[in-house]
Amino acid sequence: MKKLLLLALLFAPVLAEAQTTDDLFDIQRMQEIQLVMSSRDLAEMRENYLDAKYYVADFTWNGIRVRNVGIKMRGLSTRSPIKPGLRVDFNRYIAKQKFLGLHSLILDNALRDPSMIRERTSMAFIEHMGQPASRESFARLYLNGEYQGVYALVEAIDKEYLARNLGENDGYLLNHKYLNGFHAEDLGDDLSEYKTRFEVQTHQLEADSIIYSPVRELFREVNHPVDGAWRSRVSEYLDLDKFVTYLAIENFLSEDDGFLGYAGMANFYLYRRADSNTHRLLAWDRDSTFDRIERSIFERVDENILVRRVLRYEDLRKRYLDTLEQCARAASENNWLDTEIRRVSALIKDAVYDDNAKMNSNEEYDQAVVFLTDFAKRRPEFVLNEVAKARRAMTGSSR
Amino acid sequence: MKRTLSALVIALSISAPAAAQEIKLAWNDRPSLRVGDWLRVDIRARVQSDVRRSPLDEVRDDTEAARRRVGIEGRVGKFVDYQVEYEIGAGEWRDVYLDYRQFKPVQVQAGTFKVPFGLEETTGITKLDFVYRSSTSSRLAPGRAPGVMVHGKVLKSRLEYEAGIFSRDGDNARPAKSTRVSGEETAAARLAFEPFHGSKREISKLRVGVAATSAALPVGLPSVRAKTAFGAPFFDSDVYVQGRRQRTGLEAQWRPGPITVQAEYIRLTDERRGQAIEGEDLSPLVARGWYISGTYRRGPFEAASRFETLSFGDTSGNTDASTSRRAEIVLGNYDRAITFGVNWYVNRWVRLQANLIREQLLDPTLGPLPERPIFWSRVLRIQVAL
Repeated sequence: MKKLLLLALLFAPVLAEAQTTDDLFDIQRMQEIQLVMSSRDLAEMRENYLDAKYYVADFTWNGIRVRNVGIKMRGLSTRSPIKPGLRVDFNRYIAKQKFLGLHSLILDNALRDPSMIRERTSMAFIEHMGQPASRESFARLYLNGEYQGVYALVEAIDKEYLARNLGENDGYLLNHKYLNGFHAEDLGDDLSEYKTRFEVQTHQLEADSIIYSPVRELFREVNHPVDGAWRSRVSEYLDLDKFVTYLAIENFLSEDDGFLGYAGMANFYLYRRADSNTHRLLAWDRDSTFDRIERSIFERVDENILVRRVLRYEDLRKRYLDTLEQCARAASENNWLDTEIRRVSALIKDAVYDDNAKMNSNEEYDQAVVFLTDFAKRRPEFVLNEVAKARRAMTGSSR
Repeated sequence: MKRTLSALVIALSISAPAAAQEIKLAWNDRPSLRVGDWLRVDIRARVQSDVRRSPLDEVRDDTEAARRRVGIEGRVGKFVDYQVEYEIGAGEWRDVYLDYRQFKPVQVQAGTFKVPFGLEETTGITKLDFVYRSSTSSRLAPGRAPGVMVHGKVLKSRLEYEAGIFSRDGDNARPAKSTRVSGEETAAARLAFEPFHGSKREISKLRVGVAATSAALPVGLPSVRAKTAFGAPFFDSDVYVQGRRQRTGLEAQWRPGPITVQAEYIRLTDERRGQAIEGEDLSPLVARGWYISGTYRRGPFEAASRFETLSFGDTSGNTDASTSRRAEIVLGNYDRAITFGVNWYVNRWVRLQANLIREQLLDPTLGPLPERPIFWSRVLRIQVAL
């Protein structure tokens, strides 16, 4: 026994050091996060839950304690004093502090999603399709020792994310902040119009003209009359192939609050390399996916001037339909999507049942999971039919 | 302040018998009214104007500043001195006090005046060797507050003492319109000693002193903040404090002939009781500063230089130091400044001062010029004082 104890003591630090973000985002097990903060700060944060003020806390995961992290309330429609959605910035107060190499971590309260797994399942699917996506897992969150409920741990889109997904992170990262219905209209010459909608996350000290001129040019070119040069001009500021792929995956997942969202464009980042003016989109906040099984693959495409014009080009429309088909086949192959939904919902079920801060009942949770599994079974077939119809229409029109 | 003014009025009323005596208006460097042996009223006035040039001009709009103060001082009866001073423009009463001086070893002063702490801070502005006091004095010494003080000289004037109770911490530590917390009822004491008093050597002009203050400090963010010579913040003191605010000070001055050498060290601590995340006590927020200065006077001209450092928080480079409001180790900053000055005493009322100041911040990102750790400033002051 003594020898075992000695071995355990010897290896304990090694085991602790060996933990990585793969362990944190390991979806095979339920994680546990402890946040400890001053009770006065906690009361103030709950009272002023609409503010974006940072508070100091100690963060503990799997025996690793990170002191003096910054936490703040996050979310738009999911803001809640009861079950707060939180952003954790490990380097907020200690400039070089990281946690497992991460500068920040999102604790998503999954308040709008009765199944709580739409976000994670969507990100897993985007990754399954070979596109950049945040890693996610689930955790029981304890705030000053009190259980707050089930939270999705979401990898923030930052320099670490860029390096992991794109192999470089020197470029300009811009977070689209939702203000009001924006459908890719030209907002004019004033860069501040873009600055208020796109919050720069890297190169913050650079001049606005350097950061935002390419964004302004993108929307300016999009809104120019379509002529023979429209596509090449827009392509200078947006990678249209990647854009169409992004759009197809989003629509396969029946996203109601994405680029073609119910209230305009929402929930994405723009990224462009430092040596380029060409942007690409990065998916964010997928908790409004799985909206309807029989949602048209062309829903709202006419509402957005960029999408409407892009899909008029035959090769881009074909690419869009091909990607939708690939999504449908990838989702149904070996019941990938259904298996993912069942596995993750089983993992979190007990924690969800214990979660008294959630907005929905346990019965509603069960029903939501049933709906998702139904979606996994029927959505691929529906999309394949829609794609086939669209292809027939394309063939007919080309004759 | 109203109570002090009322007491002053009463003291003047007591001198009513003087009305029957001879009233004389005299000029002794300044206008002076004398009523027999009972009342002396000296008129005081001071006007000064500064012209500043600094890279801070790009971020601050105060390149020129003017001050006008008027007041009276004198004696009522045989034993009561008084002073009333008002700053025009700012609309603020400054020193307003009575000082009962019947017995040299035990005198009593009451009203609003400077808390007895700090050699430079308690030196009047017309006597300063530089345009501005050192940041150590102007940020860490308490300044004025309403209170009562016992003071006097003992041991054949070899030892001077001051000890008082004040209703709050001084004005330096309680900026106007601030929601930040400051010391409440404050106890202060200061001892100044001339160890070679009476000696015929130059060493007899050496004076050393110690001082301390202590005050209760309510919970909140503290009012004492680090600022550069021109008043730009370089450390915001955004940490929660609670407990006691304490100061300790050491001072020394030596004035052999035309030379003056002066040095001071001040340490201010704000306790942080119960301010850790889980309610434990944190180590106090520490601010410390020191300066050493020297002057040489020849005729109407005086050359002066001063080296000073003012630091807040931990400036050792500790990698665990944090900017959080509940940090155990508070990430700090310091300002090191060298001032070169020339003073020209045009006549007994007019003085011109020119100062050149070089400042260096440890972490310029916390200061007014994030990309410039070193910057030079200059200031010219004309001062007319009666």
